[in-house]
Amino acid sequence: MNSNTISRVFIMGFVLAFFAYLFGPLIIMSITAFNSSAFPRVMPWECFSIEWFDVLIQDDKLMLGLRNSLIIGAGVVLLAVPIGLAGALMLTQVSARLRPWYYTIVISPILIPGVVLGISTLVFWDRVGRMFNTGYESIFYDGIFLTILGQATFISAYSMLVFISRLQRFDPALEEAALDLGATNVQAFRKVLLPFLKPAMGSAAVLAFLASFENYNTTVFTIISESTLTTVLASKVRYGINPSISALAVIIVALTLVGAVFFEIAKRREDRAAKAAAQVAAGGRAQAARTYFAEPALMLFVLIFCAGLGTVYFAGTLGLDECKVAVKEEKKRRAAARIKERETLQMFQRAKPGQETGTGAVPPPQTGEAAKGTEGYQGIFAPGNLEGQVESDTGGEPAKGTEGYQNIFAPDNLEGQVGGDQEQKSTGQ
Amino acid sequence: MNPNAYFRQFFTRNGTALGTFLLLSVGFWMFIMILLPQAFMIDFSFRHNLPPAEIGGPQDTYTTEHYEFMVYGSAAAEGEFNTVDLGVFVRTLIAAFFVTLFDLAICYPIAYYLAHSASGGWARLMVLSLIVPFWVNEILRAFAFRIMFGSAGVINGFLMWLGVIDQPYDFIRENVALYAGLGYAFILLMIFPLYNAIESLDRNQIEAARDMGASWIRIHRRIVIPFAKPGISSGCTMVFMLSAGALAAPQILGGPSSLWFTQIIYQWFQTGNNWNRGSAYALILLASTIVFVLVMMKVFKVKLGEIAR
Amino acid sequence: MSADVELENVWIRFGDFVAAREVNITIEGGSFFSFLGPSGCGKTTLLRAVSGFLEPSEGRVKIGGQDMAGIGPNKRPTALIFQNLALFPLMTVWENIAFALEVKGVGKTERRKRAEELLDLIALPGQGDKMVHELSGGQKQRVAIARALAAEPQVLLLDEPLSALDLKLRQHMRTELRAIQQRVGITFIYITHDQGEALTMSDNVAVMSEGVIEQVTDGTSLYDHPETPFVASFVGENNLFRGRVTEADAQFTVVDTNVGPIRARTSTKASLSKGDSAFVFVRPESLKFTNGASADNTIKATVHTEEFEGQFWQVFLDVPGGDKRIKMSLVNDGRQLGHAPGAQVDLSFPAELAVALPEGPLAAE
Repeated sequence: MNSNTISRVFIMGFVLAFFAYLFGPLIIMSITAFNSSAFPRVMPWECFSIEWFDVLIQDDKLMLGLRNSLIIGAGVVLLAVPIGLAGALMLTQVSARLRPWYYTIVISPILIPGVVLGISTLVFWDRVGRMFNTGYESIFYDGIFLTILGQATFISAYSMLVFISRLQRFDPALEEAALDLGATNVQAFRKVLLPFLKPAMGSAAVLAFLASFENYNTTVFTIISESTLTTVLASKVRYGINPSISALAVIIVALTLVGAVFFEIAKRREDRAAKAAAQVAAGGRAQAARTYFAEPALMLFVLIFCAGLGTVYFAGTLGLDECKVAVKEEKKRRAAARIKERETLQMFQRAKPGQETGTGAVPPPQTGEAAKGTEGYQGIFAPGNLEGQVESDTGGEPAKGTEGYQNIFAPDNLEGQVGGDQEQKSTGQ
Repeated sequence: MNPNAYFRQFFTRNGTALGTFLLLSVGFWMFIMILLPQAFMIDFSFRHNLPPAEIGGPQDTYTTEHYEFMVYGSAAAEGEFNTVDLGVFVRTLIAAFFVTLFDLAICYPIAYYLAHSASGGWARLMVLSLIVPFWVNEILRAFAFRIMFGSAGVINGFLMWLGVIDQPYDFIRENVALYAGLGYAFILLMIFPLYNAIESLDRNQIEAARDMGASWIRIHRRIVIPFAKPGISSGCTMVFMLSAGALAAPQILGGPSSLWFTQIIYQWFQTGNNWNRGSAYALILLASTIVFVLVMMKVFKVKLGEIAR
Repeated sequence: MSADVELENVWIRFGDFVAAREVNITIEGGSFFSFLGPSGCGKTTLLRAVSGFLEPSEGRVKIGGQDMAGIGPNKRPTALIFQNLALFPLMTVWENIAFALEVKGVGKTERRKRAEELLDLIALPGQGDKMVHELSGGQKQRVAIARALAAEPQVLLLDEPLSALDLKLRQHMRTELRAIQQRVGITFIYITHDQGEALTMSDNVAVMSEGVIEQVTDGTSLYDHPETPFVASFVGENNLFRGRVTEADAQFTVVDTNVGPIRARTSTKASLSKGDSAFVFVRPESLKFTNGASADNTIKATVHTEEFEGQFWQVFLDVPGGDKRIKMSLVNDGRQLGHAPGAQVDLSFPAELAVALPEGPLAAE
């Protein structure tokens, strides 16, 4: 084996590790959506289930957030695409002396932290609202209105960049040719430049919508009392996690994948058409017939997708109940065994009081009071507690008896605790 | 050229309808959406936190109390520094810096590989697959890391199965999950500027250098990296600023005992109910990012347009 | 309909840079006129002043006797064919051709009809529904011409439109352009750095150098009677001998050069008097090996190399005191030349085929 092979193996290993880092989390999250366990996890595997998709669809808060996200996304597209277009066109017309200033101002929203944009929008319209002496029900305090404005501030800059890069490929001779042929300036713009920019409008719109849809930093300040999909998700994730969120992730990942595949196919087709055209222009024989040849990759993809969906559906509905019962039995049995073991352990300890208590695996917390007393603050964050708590939620009845302090371990308490610290500090000082 | 003549020329060039559209849109964007809100936020951060009834009244004067609070804490604790907030601020910047370094370290080889080693179709597939995780909601990405790094997560399970550890390690508490998640979130913003810069490098230059006997390290140090400088500065700036300004990942993945600076800002708005102080803190964040951009522009000798692309 | 184009004392400045200096030209209506010069000589700038994309800093541009000052490109009776053609990539061929009618508000059926007529004119019948990128280079060229003609201009301006084509197509398009011009009968103003194009197509050629018009005349006069050293060295090939005037009259001038005194034709425009520094130009094909008969001029030279080019022999020779090797072209009449390198030869040429000009700037090699 020579050094070339070694370095090649090393490079491939690095690339593989990189893509594992990129996709691993998404794949694992997606798998957890199909585990009937109430805590999103892969191990231990309980039952294959699609019930979390039902939970997701029946979540009214999430659906309301989704609706608002769609409205905001549409609003942002309608605002940011024309502004981005105007911004890019203006850049070509502004005098050379002013151009650096102008560019700095309009590009700055990309570099300003999203949090700051959200706050400044909120503060500004609060002031405007007060200036007009309007109440809190007015548009200046409307979360959706403010969020559209706040997001469009920087998304307009994104769409401007899309237009600028397209404009850079525009041959100014085309506009001159139109003028030379008698077109007015407006006609030259409408008939030559605008059609050229049309594909950029499409990509700017898609980009704007996606950026709006997934935005959190700005939205969380401007949304006030309303909610969007991301803010609902964020509070769900912060205050307790369950696999219905994984189910949502599965849907989004699937949509993204489908979008990516279609994008790639469209691009390949375009490339091929361009290549065929170049061939014709070069005087070669045209082989354009293959342009509309059905994509084997696409067919395969659709087939796998449908098959997967079918399997998931049947496997998820058939035998789910039996499986659940079995798992519950198993849990009960294990919990009983654990209690028994603990009792023997305690008996053992009582018999040998001098022995260290902490031998073996971390002893599962004993009674609620005892745990609080002995482990105090640290115990709250002890690994495993989070999981234990969720397990008890699902109706692992045996666990409930022993873990009476479950609320302490609820993830929202972590937040609450932190928030509380902060509040104490601010009020106490 | 005087402004009047300029406008006349502007309107003859664009026509009335298009000219009005351009001026109105750009004007609205520049002033109503960018400049005035920032100006109002600055103004707001220098005012007392008053109940709505007293705003505009005699109490409504300018003050630097919010900035003083950031440095010294409350007046009661005279002479003491506000170690909590300052600590969080410094830790946030340092952590963001290391997240940036981490991303640069893992993205540079990949970008180079994509640009110069991978073959056409394969490279394209990889570029496409880089984009896919980026369009998954940032909350969901953080959620995925929470599942992975949780005590019952795959990583703990795997490590315990290997026997490296015998009880779950609390990655969340130790902020491992947070740094991994932040690094993950902004990979794309590092890799694409790098990729674009490296791809435009003429492959012959590398071959020529190798032909003259340069080692791989020297080739990268003397040829590839200087050439990719605009890409490196652009990627680093974006990743640093987005990490320092991140809110969702620290909220979801952050350890219970450590805060991110944005979380403090968030708390002044949501629970602390002191918007003025929140604005002041936001301005401090803004100022530090501006300083960072200026430093990057100076160090790498690049223009603003090359960074924000 | 065609119109005269007059440039009266036109100056064009960009800051300190002068792109056109005191240009005075009258281009006769219905003629094919070329501006010939190396790149950067200001010919494209002049064309943009005619088409209206820029206003001269000084002087006037008149088309059909009317001053064009303040009239934009879309109002002038000119149409420009761009160097890269600037066909609209998102429109079909016929939409491109009918664009000028579209912006005038002509109805669609009328536009289509006119486009088909023009497609016939440029010998591309029935190709109207293709996209521009489906055409070959020569076809695009013709579509660009049709698109310009659809605007019914009085003057068609062409900015090196053939430069992107390969040699064969370029030669073919020369003939075709000339034929189209004669068919439509309007004024063509053609910009080129290729003297072959200028000489074959044009009624008149203006040679330009550094913003200055050097000479305006028809193709044969330009070749045979250059008026400045620039024209003599830029158009075709020429051997240069430097020296000082010893005799001068209206017909002939004698210049004492490094190869001895040369008797040459006196240029019609130039005024040389005894003692002036002068250039004498002799074309390679004017030089002959001395065959014993008496000649106006005889010079001694040493053969350097002989190159066989099929139709011609090119012989390169060194002359005593010359800073450059001279060249002679002989028509291949079946004889072998067979001079060994270093052979001493005598060359001769008649005085009518040499021209004496005052010293001045030469074209770059």
